[in-house]
Amino acid sequence: MSRPTPTGFRDNRGMVAAAVLLFSVVAVMILLANFNLNYAVGESGDAFDSFNSQTVEKNGVAQIVKESILAVRETATADSANAISTEIQNRLSGMFPSGQPISVTLVAAPGVPANPFFPFGVPATAVQPAYFSSSPRGVAGMGNLFTSLAVQGPTTDLGRLTYSFTRASTAAPNENWTYVVNADLFAVPLTNVDVVAYGLPATGMIPTQAPTVPVGTFGTGVSTLVVTSNDPGNDPTAYPDLYAGVTPEKLPYQFRNAVSFSWNAYEFLWSTPYQNALISLAEAEADPGNTAPTVLNPTPPTGAVYDFSSGNNPTIAGVIEAGNSISINCGAVQSQVIVVVDAEGIGAVTITGSAGTGNPFILLIRNTAGNLGKTAVTFTGSNNRPAIFYLENSNVAFVGSPQIQGALFLDPSTVAAGTVTWFGHFSFYAPASPLGSLHIGINDSATVKAALSSLAPRVLLVSTTATRQ
Amino acid sequence: MKPVSSSAARRPCRDEKGFSLVEAIGGLIIFTLMMAALTYGTSSLFKFQAQPQVSYNAQTYSQAPSFGAFQQAVSLHTRFTQSVDQADSVLLFGGARSHPTLDPNGPSPAVATTFAATSLAAAAGSDPLQGYSSWDQRQLNASQLDPYLNGTADPADFTILTIQGQTRITSITQQRRATATINGQALALYAVTYQPIDWSSGLPVSGALASYYIYYGANEDTWSQPPGATHFWYRTDPVWDRDQEGPARVVFADPYVLAGQDPRAQVTAVSRFVYFLPQLR
Repeated sequence: MSRPTPTGFRDNRGMVAAAVLLFSVVAVMILLANFNLNYAVGESGDAFDSFNSQTVEKNGVAQIVKESILAVRETATADSANAISTEIQNRLSGMFPSGQPISVTLVAAPGVPANPFFPFGVPATAVQPAYFSSSPRGVAGMGNLFTSLAVQGPTTDLGRLTYSFTRASTAAPNENWTYVVNADLFAVPLTNVDVVAYGLPATGMIPTQAPTVPVGTFGTGVSTLVVTSNDPGNDPTAYPDLYAGVTPEKLPYQFRNAVSFSWNAYEFLWSTPYQNALISLAEAEADPGNTAPTVLNPTPPTGAVYDFSSGNNPTIAGVIEAGNSISINCGAVQSQVIVVVDAEGIGAVTITGSAGTGNPFILLIRNTAGNLGKTAVTFTGSNNRPAIFYLENSNVAFVGSPQIQGALFLDPSTVAAGTVTWFGHFSFYAPASPLGSLHIGINDSATVKAALSSLAPRVLLVSTTATRQ
Repeated sequence: MKPVSSSAARRPCRDEKGFSLVEAIGGLIIFTLMMAALTYGTSSLFKFQAQPQVSYNAQTYSQAPSFGAFQQAVSLHTRFTQSVDQADSVLLFGGARSHPTLDPNGPSPAVATTFAATSLAAAAGSDPLQGYSSWDQRQLNASQLDPYLNGTADPADFTILTIQGQTRITSITQQRRATATINGQALALYAVTYQPIDWSSGLPVSGALASYYIYYGANEDTWSQPPGATHFWYRTDPVWDRDQEGPARVVFADPYVLAGQDPRAQVTAVSRFVYFLPQLR
């Protein structure tokens, strides 16, 4: 028996080789397909994560621009004297420290326009903004935290500023690009919000909780603003869901615009520079009631400042003095600003409303007497002539349940009692609410807001949006 | 010298050097046919393994993990993120704690998937300071939304509306979860849709719908952060109209993650598509 020759196998080894090759190719294909699938998922996931981080990054840059603008122009007691570029760069350095793979560099930084308002300048005419409009420019897209305050009444559009940044990454050069941040600035009269229970974080305190409000205080459509602690231990309306519990308490950024309105603006309002500016303007008033110079009295006192501690006050149209008491007839006032100074707390002021309308004016009662005494302020009669009443360290009474149009600003030490129906703005220090003794019914009034917009302090509202170019 | 036949002369050549021309051509044809058959078979195998599908309520769902659905999800979420980024406010309906005292546990109903409005008419002219939460917006637009808020809610269901101004809806995003037994298998089915609405011309124009539909086995639908929405609150203060809602946590189903695949795993899977979504921008 002869052994089979290997010729048969040898004859077919080409086919075997082909089969092995084929099997290998298929195996490699399967492995490659699996690899590619997982690689693609990983790449897609990374790309999506990168997209999300870019969104966060660009919005961070937008927030830097907003805070930098507010640092130099916010209605507050202390604004930075730095250039806007310096402010932005300082914040950029915090967000993108040097030596890190990612750097963001400021390329263009236009200066921030002034936000002039009475008495420091003549504010531009305020008009009622609309969400979707070409003229005035619509505010849609600027964020509801911005627009919810901007649409409360007439505002002035200070324009759009465009800032640009280059973004570079040493780790991923294909992620170098440009960020463009549009900043929209609006000047909003403080009197646009109907009721503000304010806090004073620097010179006083922030309210731990909102004041108790008797039923009937807020009329239909009245806008209200109070920013309190988010600590449920302080404010029973707060929840622990998002409360961080750090000391001192840090409010989430959601409250930034509200804080501009209800804290920082009031620090400024009751500060010496603003009060003195009103006094200076009143001193310079060419009040028609002032005594004309005569031979016997060539330099009679002028202006519209009445000082209870002075024996030489000007005669002011609408103001009648009787010892330590004066009465102010709103219908007869001629000056734009009248100031009553009571450094000793000895004065009494009776404010009589005007049945007719007329140009708006400001009445400031400046009492720096502290505990020596409050100025007694009495409102009698309804008033249809819009006026801004700044009452400092006063004891306010309303007689005869008057109806008054205007803005009533009470400083932290002012107390009030009586019954009044108010059309316009009312603000008071939340930690010392007068609502226990003052029965005030507040009503929204577009007419009053419009009338007072030229004289009211204005808050700078900023909205920033960033895009990647 | 012995003569050498021609066949004898060729044999060593074939044995040592490969195929004849006829064999080579035949082999090539067979190789091609086999490759084609294997390619077809392999692709079918992948298709079957990666994307088995079921039909539910006239909609086709792919089994997770599904690369195709994952691609669709990335596209959808990219567009969704842009809509949120450009919105003035974001309204979230559904999920837990839609109101801390009136609906503390939920799940509250999402807006029905039939909702296709392009604006919130009732909100026009309202005081925006009094619309600081989705709950407020729900009350404010009750006449329009209530007919769409009557369904039985699943904890994973939610509706997200992005708004410009007070009224213009710029996108409607829906997530719905359903459970069903199909072919003897208990399944959890997720439908996620995103409907953009373009207002750039001043009139609403609905864009192309983005969507992904996936299902998990019932044992694979146990997440550490389950799909759905959870509202968080700073405060509710009816006296001062301060219904202040904070960012809400929104978890979308992830087509490429099996949450409960390995119950012994120390780290439970989390969806890629998780948002901490501010209501106010």
